[in-house]
Amino acid sequence: MSVRNAILGLLANRPRHGYELHDAFEAMVGGEQNWDIKPAQVYTTLSRLEKKGLVIEDGIEQAGGPEKHIYTVTAAGLTELQEWFAQPVLSDRRRDEFFLKLMLSLTIPDADPRRLIYVQRAGLYKELHTLTAQRSQVDPQTELAYLLLMDQAIMHLEADLRWLEMVEARLDEICRQPVPEPSERPRGRPPKGES
Amino acid sequence: MSIVKTEQLTKVYGKGATAVTALNQLNLNIQPGEFVAVMGPSGCGKSTLLHLVGGLDQPTSGRVLLDGQDMSNLSDDARAELRRRSVGLVFQFFNLIPVLDAVENAALPLVLDGVRQSEAQQKAKDWLTRVGLSDRFSHRPDQLSGGQQQRVALARALVAEPALILADEPTGNLDSRSADEIALLLRQISSEWNRTVLMVTHDPRIAAHASRIVFLKDGTIVDETRLSDGGVSGRNNGQEQLVRAKLEVAS
Repeated sequence: MSVRNAILGLLANRPRHGYELHDAFEAMVGGEQNWDIKPAQVYTTLSRLEKKGLVIEDGIEQAGGPEKHIYTVTAAGLTELQEWFAQPVLSDRRRDEFFLKLMLSLTIPDADPRRLIYVQRAGLYKELHTLTAQRSQVDPQTELAYLLLMDQAIMHLEADLRWLEMVEARLDEICRQPVPEPSERPRGRPPKGES
Repeated sequence: MSIVKTEQLTKVYGKGATAVTALNQLNLNIQPGEFVAVMGPSGCGKSTLLHLVGGLDQPTSGRVLLDGQDMSNLSDDARAELRRRSVGLVFQFFNLIPVLDAVENAALPLVLDGVRQSEAQQKAKDWLTRVGLSDRFSHRPDQLSGGQQQRVALARALVAEPALILADEPTGNLDSRSADEIALLLRQISSEWNRTVLMVTHDPRIAAHASRIVFLKDGTIVDETRLSDGGVSGRNNGQEQLVRAKLEVAS
């Protein structure tokens, strides 16, 4: 959804062809190592947007190579973009894969929850190492927006590490508590005559 | 050969029922040029480890080998000598001398070692320049920001050309921006100037600059993480490669 809307937004900025959109997207997010999209993804998204009447073809550019279809946003597309801007962005942090691993490791004899924590921490630290190195290459005079993106990622990692520390500190307590099971519930349709 | 090696290093404070084991048979090997961060909850033995490696304190049992030399076999004088020549120390509260300017502070280890004043000052200026303080030579500590004071402290730690830098919470008293700068400098000290750095910190972001993180709990190493060494795979690198690839296609 966000790539689709980003394409709408880039076309609202000015008409472009598919490859330009691809490059503009990657430049905006600070390079492909942050968020890589395939040119094919751009083209399929464009044709879907076109079918919905949100973008429209606006000429063909032909400079030596193969012809390039230039797209522009429609009024409906602009409305769609405004609706997107009007919504807050919320990510669901309760759906956590590491938490799933941890809970399952408590129930399976061969799994070691402590090991899981170490592995997770090592991974987070490697990521933090990469990001801090990347951040130190950013020039705040010209790339402030990108610097702030790095900071956000770094802050999330710091929070994850802090949380992991808490889990580790209280792991013995967690191990002593029962892993939640579904509560007993009568199955099937309730018998007639009862309300 | 390891620059630092601890063997079954143990430190117990107090006696009998009130005895506290700060380090419990800890084995650690650090290779030359490594940047190692030690992390763990307070009271896990982080600072004790640093003090024992730096020869500021004596182990209850076990031993520390510094560049192959067993420190417990040395007399107090010889240990102090070894420490002065092979180890540079950096602390949380900078510990600069208030009445001395940056050059005099940084030159102090050499002056105490009997090096000629002019030579000591020249070396101090060289190191102050390398840590980015060439325009602060005659400033006293109270005329410098926290980050700058810590840079002076780093220059002082480096001035006698020790192989090993020990840093105890070096960013603990700094704002996050200065902390980042000091962490980058510590990384440079190991990766470019080829010194070994052993640092205690509680700050994940600072530890992330290291090449290896050692986690301590109850006086022993519970976990170790080797982070990718040196070689920054930053965005600019990636872009540069991309640009180069495109140029090659175009030509």
